[in-house]
Amino acid sequence: MVALRGRATVDRLRDEILGVRYREATTTFCRLVTEEKHPLKGVIKEAIAAAAPFVQVPSHLMRLPTGEMRGVNYDHTILGWRGAISLLSEIEGSKAVLPSVQAMWYVPQGLNIWEQIICEFPGHYARDGEKCDVKFPGPDHEVGRFDGPAWTAPKIYFEDHAPIEGGSVEERLTRMSWSIAEGNREEGYGLFLGLAKDPSCRDKLKEAILFSGIIDLQDTIINRGGYQNIGHKAIRARALVHIADYLGWENAHELIYTVVPDLGCAPRLHGLWTEISNICRMEIPAHASIAKRTDTPLTQRELDQLVEAMVWGGPFDVNAAIMGFFKRGAGVLDVGDAVFVCFQRYLMDVLEHPALFNHPTHALDYANVVLTWIRDYDSPHHVKGVFMAARFMNDTIRSNAMMPRDAKFTLESRRAHRAWADSIAVDHMLPLIKEHALAQDAPRTCALVDSYLDRTSERRALLDTITYAACHWQNDPHVMRNCSSSLEEYRHNRTPRRDDIIRGYAKHQSRYIKRAQTHDCFQVYVVHFHPANA
Amino acid sequence: MSNHPLSAIWRVRNAAAETLALTEEQVRHRLREASINDLIALLETFSPARSTGPEWTRTFDPLIERLWLWRDDETMAALATAFRAKGVPWATVANALSPEQGATIRAGVRHPAWARLPAFTVA
Repeated sequence: MVALRGRATVDRLRDEILGVRYREATTTFCRLVTEEKHPLKGVIKEAIAAAAPFVQVPSHLMRLPTGEMRGVNYDHTILGWRGAISLLSEIEGSKAVLPSVQAMWYVPQGLNIWEQIICEFPGHYARDGEKCDVKFPGPDHEVGRFDGPAWTAPKIYFEDHAPIEGGSVEERLTRMSWSIAEGNREEGYGLFLGLAKDPSCRDKLKEAILFSGIIDLQDTIINRGGYQNIGHKAIRARALVHIADYLGWENAHELIYTVVPDLGCAPRLHGLWTEISNICRMEIPAHASIAKRTDTPLTQRELDQLVEAMVWGGPFDVNAAIMGFFKRGAGVLDVGDAVFVCFQRYLMDVLEHPALFNHPTHALDYANVVLTWIRDYDSPHHVKGVFMAARFMNDTIRSNAMMPRDAKFTLESRRAHRAWADSIAVDHMLPLIKEHALAQDAPRTCALVDSYLDRTSERRALLDTITYAACHWQNDPHVMRNCSSSLEEYRHNRTPRRDDIIRGYAKHQSRYIKRAQTHDCFQVYVVHFHPANA
Repeated sequence: MSNHPLSAIWRVRNAAAETLALTEEQVRHRLREASINDLIALLETFSPARSTGPEWTRTFDPLIERLWLWRDDETMAALATAFRAKGVPWATVANALSPEQGATIRAGVRHPAWARLPAFTVA
């Protein structure tokens, strides 16, 4: 545990973030809230502001000396905050702040990604992904210097710019979307800043930035290496909208600086969008006028057909299934909800290897962005978004299936433990679910959840338990983001299989590969926030 | 014969099972006669770079089941050695050829008295 010397200040927090002293930064973050009584919102804003200049990269493709290309990771600091802020209202009591402490723990580790992957700056990518301590060990072999602190300042790859103003809102929105799609980062960012100053066009701006993110998606990740974005453009846009609404748009400049320039960063991938646009134009010419919901949602048999197409079929099977539902009169969210719930069968029944959750759960988060965009805004393109989400999910499933199944990671069936789970009184189950989730014992966790769902209509405490257990794990903002996506979609889903989202969520959080096996960050949170029944 | 729709579809199912059983018999002969090098070449088609797609790769487990049931331990050990020597990218294949995995598969595949074939994975 880090010693508490001197007063916690925002300047100190900023220095610790930029110095990649993540343990100290997390302690200061907690002390600012608990000792100095700073509002959590204000401290989160300061942490985002400190990191903002240092999360851009020149490109998400790096040319190697061999002439080949490798992918460059996307900033995840802002995704941790988006999940954490969302979870503030999802978890009960003082436990709700744990995801924010986890987000803070990650921020100093996620700066200056370009230098991290070439082992010139410390952080999560250098330490874990690139194994820089092995490639370039320091004088003391016992100390991993890529765990921090930094020995140099992080680099700025995209300077802040002034707002671009003048012209009608519609003109500027159109220009902004084109600038982002064509990679003119300066213009896209400047136009966004100008438009963000005008509250009267706020909803249009939010819709436009989500749309820009959603349409930028690879057609496949199979054998593509770094030439993909696995939904990060859309996921970042959603983070911007969500966090700006939380902070207040007048306080969102650094947040916008964090997110918007990267939406125009290379590679920009509009092949799938083009395919889906052509299909919709040819086969569903009136797609723009399809209602969001109808009184004819998908039947159980149609849900089975969609599972078959998404989990076991190919891209054209997915297109055909979804097209059939729209042609027979289903609404946009009737099908969108079905896509989200049918995907859960893959998480529940097929996925075994902990490392193979990564791409499918990015697709899950992308689908959440699409469904939020459909629920909250109007657009003539909503039907296409449903196709995009389903195709991305199917592609990640197919990508995983390109690898022979590894017998070493065979997972015992959840059904093997059902009788044991049924023997436990319902009011004793939640602590056991937490215990088995923390032990990463997926079969027992899932058996308990199956039994619980069948024996009680209570859901809130169950979701709270799974989420709180999930947020014990450090160094990984995906956890908070995945939690918020699953909880949000569970709340909105209207299919008869809605509980499958909880089953998939429990499997995911009790099996997904962990970036650290210790709970140091959780201990910092306990020391400062004293949660009951920690 | 009944014209009931369920009877009709059950007849279709039986025809498919008959076709599959005859095919499996041919596969058994070919796998038993194949050389180590031929088996290595077949298993190599399951790498992500060589696979023709997920539909092909998903048949890896059914093939491994059949190899463990239709080939001897010596052959399986030779295959395991060959793929272990190829390094980390082939670890998944090597793991499927480990003696422990073989014991699990051999113990798990059941052959009901009424069935022409063991209850193999179809995939």
